[in-house]
Amino acid sequence: MTTTTLRFENLHRRFGRLAVLKGVSGAVEPGGMLLVTGANGSGKSTLLRCLSGLLAPDAGTIEYREKGTGLDTAERRLRVGVVAPDLAFYGELTVAENLDFFSRLRRVSAARGFAILDRLGLPTDRLAGALSSGMRQRLRWGWALLHSPLLLLLDEPFQNFDAPGERTARELLAEHLAEGGLAVVANPATLEFDHAAQRLDLGG
Amino acid sequence: MKKLLAWLLWLWMSLVILGAFLYAPLAKGFIGESSRILFFHVPMAWVSFVGFIAAAVWSARYLFFGRDPRHDRAAAVAIELGLVFGVLATVTGALWARIMWGAYWNWDPRQTSLLVSLLFYAAYLALRAAVDDRETRGRLSAAYALLGLVVTPFLYWVVPRITYSLHPDPVVNAQGKVEMEARMQHVLYASGIGFAALFFWIHNLQCRVQALLDRKSAL
Amino acid sequence: MRHSASTWVAEAAAVFMKEWRCEFRTRYSLNTLALFAFTTLVVVSFSLGPLGVSLSKGTALLPVLLWITLLFSVAAGLPRAFVQEEETQTAMALRLAATPSALFCGKLLYGLTLVFALEALVTPVYVAMTSLAIASPGLLVVVLAAGGYGLAVGSTLVAAIIAQARTKGTLFSVLAFPVLLPLLVLAVELTRVAASGTAPDVALPQLLLYDAVVTVAGLMLFPVVWNP
Repeated sequence: MTTTTLRFENLHRRFGRLAVLKGVSGAVEPGGMLLVTGANGSGKSTLLRCLSGLLAPDAGTIEYREKGTGLDTAERRLRVGVVAPDLAFYGELTVAENLDFFSRLRRVSAARGFAILDRLGLPTDRLAGALSSGMRQRLRWGWALLHSPLLLLLDEPFQNFDAPGERTARELLAEHLAEGGLAVVANPATLEFDHAAQRLDLGG
Repeated sequence: MKKLLAWLLWLWMSLVILGAFLYAPLAKGFIGESSRILFFHVPMAWVSFVGFIAAAVWSARYLFFGRDPRHDRAAAVAIELGLVFGVLATVTGALWARIMWGAYWNWDPRQTSLLVSLLFYAAYLALRAAVDDRETRGRLSAAYALLGLVVTPFLYWVVPRITYSLHPDPVVNAQGKVEMEARMQHVLYASGIGFAALFFWIHNLQCRVQALLDRKSAL
Repeated sequence: MRHSASTWVAEAAAVFMKEWRCEFRTRYSLNTLALFAFTTLVVVSFSLGPLGVSLSKGTALLPVLLWITLLFSVAAGLPRAFVQEEETQTAMALRLAATPSALFCGKLLYGLTLVFALEALVTPVYVAMTSLAIASPGLLVVVLAAGGYGLAVGSTLVAAIIAQARTKGTLFSVLAFPVLLPLLVLAVELTRVAASGTAPDVALPQLLLYDAVVTVAGLMLFPVVWNP
């Protein structure tokens, strides 16, 4: 099978005394989107951080296969596209310099990133430290899609967006799914999506 | 079974202490009875070092072979005990130095090397205290322990070569011959075995206590 | 997999360039290092001048003071390379994009250039201010290079460790000192040798061995320190 799939089983994570993930499982198929819902503090961001490889779960497994090949955590971490509220960039560098730096790290051309930012309407000569919160969110999307990831992990993806920004971002997400990509989305401002999405409710 | 071994250890150490004062002769060149401190000071320094090696081994197992929290716990306890034994070795060494050389501290390279090792242990424990998340704490302290392991040989082999040493000649010299009277050797090695057994016994107890404490703090 | 040697180098180079680009726009580390170094230099020259330390005591003392100046300046300025990534939260993006070994080398290279710049600045001034006679300038350059490298590589690894802990300022010194002590002892010894012109015995190979060992340890331990 040469498809891309994500499967996670029985994930546990605690912080000190607080058990945040208590045996969470789920799966995403090509073109599929998993919508993670739950009250504040129910573990949505923690789950996404485990899936992106930024946090190691105390127990449980995460299995990610990209085009048939299984990737370990280190490989998965470099392959995913992440949008999150605490994702930050270098304030002393311009948007263009930030994109250029990360495209060198990812060993891809920066063209796609610039194209996305152009679509979202973000001027690239401004210092990243001088961006408004809405513009920062656009930069996050450009950064996330820079290397054409097959798995998107989106935590509060439309936060701080104005209406046009949100519309474009939803288009980008829809295009990503239409091309067979996977997405796990948490904390969306509104829970409506054009396409059907599986739900995972973490309760709380 | 455990109780039997504990009693055996008590008996062994009692014999060592008796042997140190009654069985072993006095070493030449030392003032009065002071050479008897050898049977306690030297094994404690050995055991402190053994503790460090054990901690490094457990740290490596934690980092590269499965991230088992028990290995992390074992490493931390080994460092704590290594610190305790190391402090005792330093203190007994300082007492001996006072008798033999007139001052508690002489910047003798061996004294200094032991002290710097203790700085490593204390730094390791300070690092653990400064990290709240269990997974991060295990990872960072294990890495630091391994860094300490690769650097320590330089401390022990480099520093003594640079300055004149007040320390008595190494007991085992270049030819591999042991230059100590037979009875002193008996007591010294018996003491070494006793202290090592003591270390691992306390280590085992403390790991079990710590495991219970960890379980309690997670409830 | 995405690895190939030439692009790994390009990654490390990108990290190095990014560090310097950010540094030139704020000058924070350069200023800190320079300020620290000059303050220490002034204090040293005061203690040897107006307070009058004899020349013979001076030659024994001066190499030590030079390396202490370098050590404290490095401790003041180098950890920022990793601490700042955590504090400004750019570490997240870096974790998701950079190959750990390339990141380590890029940061190390940056630290190295900082240390060498510091040494180039401090050493001539120090030698002039203290009228220290150097019998083998060639050996001195080698010691500064090898010793400076050791300072950089040890500090970079320890900085990566403490960046994820609390109380980063004091913790860096506490963790770095035992690690760097053998290096300092060897470097001071060799500086004395360079000043007095005697023959260096095993100290120089030992210093180079230290550098090699800590480099290998850094390459092996950094990925584990950096990522969960």
